[in-house]
Amino acid sequence: MSSPDFLARLYDDHAEALFAFLLNLARDEVDAKDLLQDLFVKLAKQPALIEGVRDERAFLVRLVHNLAIDLMRRRRTREKNYERLAGETVSLFAPSTDPDERALRAALTEALGELPFEQRAVVHLKLWEGLTFEAIADALDLSPNTAASRYRYGIDKLRERLRPLYDEIT
Amino acid sequence: MNTGDFEKRLERQDMRPIPREWREEILNAARRAGDPQPSTINPQPTSWWRELLWPSPQAWAGLAVAWVLILGLNAATREPVQVVTAQSTAPAREVLMALKERRRLLAELAGSPTQVEPQKPLAPRPRSELSQRTVAG
Repeated sequence: MSSPDFLARLYDDHAEALFAFLLNLARDEVDAKDLLQDLFVKLAKQPALIEGVRDERAFLVRLVHNLAIDLMRRRRTREKNYERLAGETVSLFAPSTDPDERALRAALTEALGELPFEQRAVVHLKLWEGLTFEAIADALDLSPNTAASRYRYGIDKLRERLRPLYDEIT
Repeated sequence: MNTGDFEKRLERQDMRPIPREWREEILNAARRAGDPQPSTINPQPTSWWRELLWPSPQAWAGLAVAWVLILGLNAATREPVQVVTAQSTAPAREVLMALKERRRLLAELAGSPTQVEPQKPLAPRPRSELSQRTVAG
């Protein structure tokens, strides 16, 4: 586990998903990269952290979530408004050739940016990581009920926000 | 709008892939950090101090400046205090003496000679004859 290749193996197994999660939380590509690098630096310095971990993905999600929270605090300290950044344009989704999908992805990116940080984290992990509420609760240090209610609030807001476009394209 | 359909539609949206070139950059940075540091002159305290001061270095610097000012002011004002103390030693004795004298005069005026006048030796009183008679009887 602690051989130099374990970092490459972890990267290949999880970096893609962690990047998407971080990009959705940080809403900034440079910050997402920095946080991902921070994670791997931490793992390189303390390989024992991940030894014996049963669910690597959930463990890594927890680590990057904490790193994202730290980033948020630093942004606040630097008086950079996190919600302003959340509203900024960032491409969360892969480009699409279908104009309807393209429109939906753009609107969804914007709508996600309007969700509070913690709701966005839960919605992301449920929709795009396919985690159960128990797994989300474990990763984010919440109760399963809190995870479920945050998801419900988040998805309701997304539905309301995207309803006109969704009705139009379906 | 069906909730299940809506959520499934969102799930199908592919997330943006991670840029390929990041892999080597991130892994190289991580490997460098994981390697033992080359020995430099006492590198540990520097990193320790950085860790400590990182969250708000300006606040710490401000606090340090405030302490330096406080210590400077303290040092600057200590000397005159000592002079004043030294000067005030002799008059303090005089003041004490004056106070004692004043207290004595006040006591005199208030008419409590027991406090002011030294106690006179007791004059021998005439002995009671009654008790002698009682004893003789």
